[in-house]
Amino acid sequence: MIDTLASGQLLFAALALGATYALVALGLNLVYGTMRLLNVAHGDLVMLGGYITYWAFALGGVSPLVSLLGTAVAAALLGVLAYRLLFRAMLGARGTGPRVEANSLLLFFGLSIVVQNLAALIFSPTPRGYEYLSDVLHFGNVALTGNRLAALLVAAALCLAVVLFLRWHTMGLAMRALMEHREAAAVVGVDIDRIQLASFAVGFGTAAVAGALVSMTEQVSPFMGFPFTVAAFVVIVMGGLGRLEGGMAAAFALGLLETYGVALTSTNWRSILLYGTFVALLLARPQGLFGRPAVMR
Amino acid sequence: MNPTRDLVVVLALLGASAIVPLMGGDYWIGVGISTFMWVALTQSWSLLSGLSGYVSLGHVVFYGLGTYIVVTSWEVVPIAVALALAAGAAAVFAFVTGMPVLRVRGPYFVILTFGIAELVKFVVMAAEAAAGNASRLILGTPQIETLFFLMLGLAAAATVLAWGVRVSRLGHGLRAIREDEEAAETLGVPVARYKLLAFVLSACIPGAVGGVMALRNTYFEPLQAFDPMISFSMIAMAVIGGSDDLRGPVVGTAFFVFLSEMLWANAPQVYMMMLGILLVLFVLFVPEGLCGRLFRARTA
Amino acid sequence: MSIRRSIFNTVIASAFALALSLDTSLAQGAKPVRIGFSIAKTGIFASAAPSQLNAYELWREQVNARGGLEIGKEKRPVEFVQYDDQSNPGQAAKIYEKLITQDKVDLLLAPWGTPTHIAVAPVLERLKFPMVGNTAASSKLRELKPGYIWFTTAAIPDRIGKELAAMLKENGVKSVALLTNVLPFSKEIKGFLEPALKSAAIAISVNEEYPPDVKDMTALLTKVKQANPDAVLALSYPSDSPLYVRQAKELGIGAKFQFVLIGPTIDFFPKLLGSAANGIVTVGEWSPARNARAKAFYDTYVAKFKEKPDYLDSSLSFMSCEILEQAVKTAGLDRSKLRTAIAQGRFETINGAVKFKGVENTVTKTGFLQIQDGEVQQVWPASVSTAKYRPKTSW
Repeated sequence: MIDTLASGQLLFAALALGATYALVALGLNLVYGTMRLLNVAHGDLVMLGGYITYWAFALGGVSPLVSLLGTAVAAALLGVLAYRLLFRAMLGARGTGPRVEANSLLLFFGLSIVVQNLAALIFSPTPRGYEYLSDVLHFGNVALTGNRLAALLVAAALCLAVVLFLRWHTMGLAMRALMEHREAAAVVGVDIDRIQLASFAVGFGTAAVAGALVSMTEQVSPFMGFPFTVAAFVVIVMGGLGRLEGGMAAAFALGLLETYGVALTSTNWRSILLYGTFVALLLARPQGLFGRPAVMR
Repeated sequence: MNPTRDLVVVLALLGASAIVPLMGGDYWIGVGISTFMWVALTQSWSLLSGLSGYVSLGHVVFYGLGTYIVVTSWEVVPIAVALALAAGAAAVFAFVTGMPVLRVRGPYFVILTFGIAELVKFVVMAAEAAAGNASRLILGTPQIETLFFLMLGLAAAATVLAWGVRVSRLGHGLRAIREDEEAAETLGVPVARYKLLAFVLSACIPGAVGGVMALRNTYFEPLQAFDPMISFSMIAMAVIGGSDDLRGPVVGTAFFVFLSEMLWANAPQVYMMMLGILLVLFVLFVPEGLCGRLFRARTA
Repeated sequence: MSIRRSIFNTVIASAFALALSLDTSLAQGAKPVRIGFSIAKTGIFASAAPSQLNAYELWREQVNARGGLEIGKEKRPVEFVQYDDQSNPGQAAKIYEKLITQDKVDLLLAPWGTPTHIAVAPVLERLKFPMVGNTAASSKLRELKPGYIWFTTAAIPDRIGKELAAMLKENGVKSVALLTNVLPFSKEIKGFLEPALKSAAIAISVNEEYPPDVKDMTALLTKVKQANPDAVLALSYPSDSPLYVRQAKELGIGAKFQFVLIGPTIDFFPKLLGSAANGIVTVGEWSPARNARAKAFYDTYVAKFKEKPDYLDSSLSFMSCEILEQAVKTAGLDRSKLRTAIAQGRFETINGAVKFKGVENTVTKTGFLQIQDGEVQQVWPASVSTAKYRPKTSW
């Protein structure tokens, strides 16, 4: 038991899981943070990313690590389209009141149904899979399959990139301004419309990349998105809504819980541990780990 | 807006539908059971979330608990007792969890309720697994005509309960909470007590509904009894019908059922997609719901 | 707001108009035979259901190519009336009520999944309409009143438990690690497997369960590796089967007998896992090498759908169609005659002979398949095996 806990193997598993959760949740947090929209179709973007990657590999032999960029761009364009056609009007007219939150839940839910069923119609609901980088590598006494290592590295890198972007790039800083002080951001001259558009693009793009990474190790099917949506919501609420670093911390915490927590108890307790921790945390801290204590309207 | 007049209208509609078993075949009785189920669930959800603004995304937990109670007490207690226990268990669960849960606000509350429903689902799954069960089958359940009238009764009860809350001080207090919780508290509204009461009241009928559906499905599996889609559907029908109106759940459910039947019959392949598109259009163009649009109700 | 109102009204009106206009009515020569069923097009079963629907479609195509379904002296083309049950058994029950009472179909085919079959059974009994079930496997099925529903599958949990223990014993296995997903099928099998293993004097060195949404098995598999059993029995579902195989490969679990319950027979499995899938044993009682009909089915399926049929669900579904076809030939469309024909007849299918006793198919033997060099072979029981079991030597 002790040697299992101390092993690098478990640590790697925790990191790999945490990085996936972090990347999936990132885009959702960004979209919520800037626009207070609850994107319950987020997991379906992961699904779309998975499909694009699968078809690129199956039809064109393109490595997922190469098609990543194309997948991200395609999803980002989808985000731009969604914003222009559907959300700009809704956000502009009413601002960010509570009605927008409830309505956005339903709007995205409707979109989710459409996207899932469209995918089922076009791709057929049969699950797909492809093999890539599945050889086992050994580092000391830790064994890792190539694709899991690649997924960990890409996810971690992308999360870092987004955090740095929000810290140093002008547009990133504008996004941060929008997330933290919407009214003040407008006063200071931030082009709200453009930033919201960019948030959609980045949000959708990162979700699709997560899907690309996941497709290396899991099967892809039209209805696979929902569990990712759930995981993403749990992560961002736990971390504090709109707090990107908080979300990442929460993601890794969940990764640790899922590996070490399970090692200490039993695999049987996995879901109870995860949801139990989530519920207990929120009851103790209603604003999440790093959320602002002020009332979220 | 006149809730009492609305109540009479809804009860009359429900009463009128009692002739269905005499006229229609098994299929229409089945449609009736589904319709009443959604009316009962949506009405209960609205009385909490529509009035107070605390959007519950985990309401299926009460439904699932009710199902579980009836299935586990099958042939141990009479059905009437089992259904009462189902409603009671849901209410007790709401009471016990309500106090800490209702301190959480806004979207945090939304996801928290979802998390609680999932937690209970996995706990039930683990409990069943430990007992050696993975699914349960109950045999010898009542006829569908009986289930039809049971569900009709629950839909009526849910409507009466919703009416009772709306016209009472509780209802006004909840609306005040929705507008501005701090202000309401300053004005003397017993905020915590009212929220808890609404939470518990919104749980009873879904518990009983879950129990009746256990009798209808005869098969219990935690994954299905606690299916999140049930929670989502409640919200969708409530919003489409208009969540601040007693007729809302009825209108929303009727609309959905009518649409489902029509699309199903004529375009079964694209049924779900059409539903999704319509939901999107609704939110964009009719955010106040059908009742808000058709009857031009002024918000109280 | 009036512009918005008119847009809205127009869209709603068009939606209704579109829905109404999609009503497709068939005008044909001989009156078609209408066969109704519900299928999980959306929801949690949606990724599994195509293996069944495809088999149905293939059968219909073949029957119609032969001129139609033989009913007594005449041949009538087959037409399907299908609805999406959204993986919801309650919805499926409603659909079958509709098919029988509203759509007034001539025959019925089965929906997907054990819970769906169970929900539909009372409807069939109440409305006295026979249906041959397929993708359902639970000993609970025997509790259903026989007479209007039958099950072609031999993969019933108690039989699986017994046979698996027998196969393990025959191959000299002395210790196993038993990993069980808490979903119904796997849990039920575990219930029968544990006592069977005990009788065969096989020790269970690791015995763990896990929830269906598990994402990581590192801790669990490290434990298994340390226990070093002769066999690992992963009673898993398609969503966690790949997880087990990947992580077992990663950690290098050395057990020579590797059993994965559901997944290996599905098309994507070897594509996702490559050589790691080789040598894995799974449940199944059919392979294309079974007989000439089986091979023909396999070839035409692959040609039409560009993917392999699922060795479990696709074959079971096709079998139920064949049974229906043969029963209708002698009994016509009269329901009580059909019922007798199915209950008493002996049928020739792509999996050999089938005969029902009560609700159960008692002729087909419960068996196991193994992936060998990318091909699926039947390795148990010996009487119908197409290849011999080989221990798994590497990942």
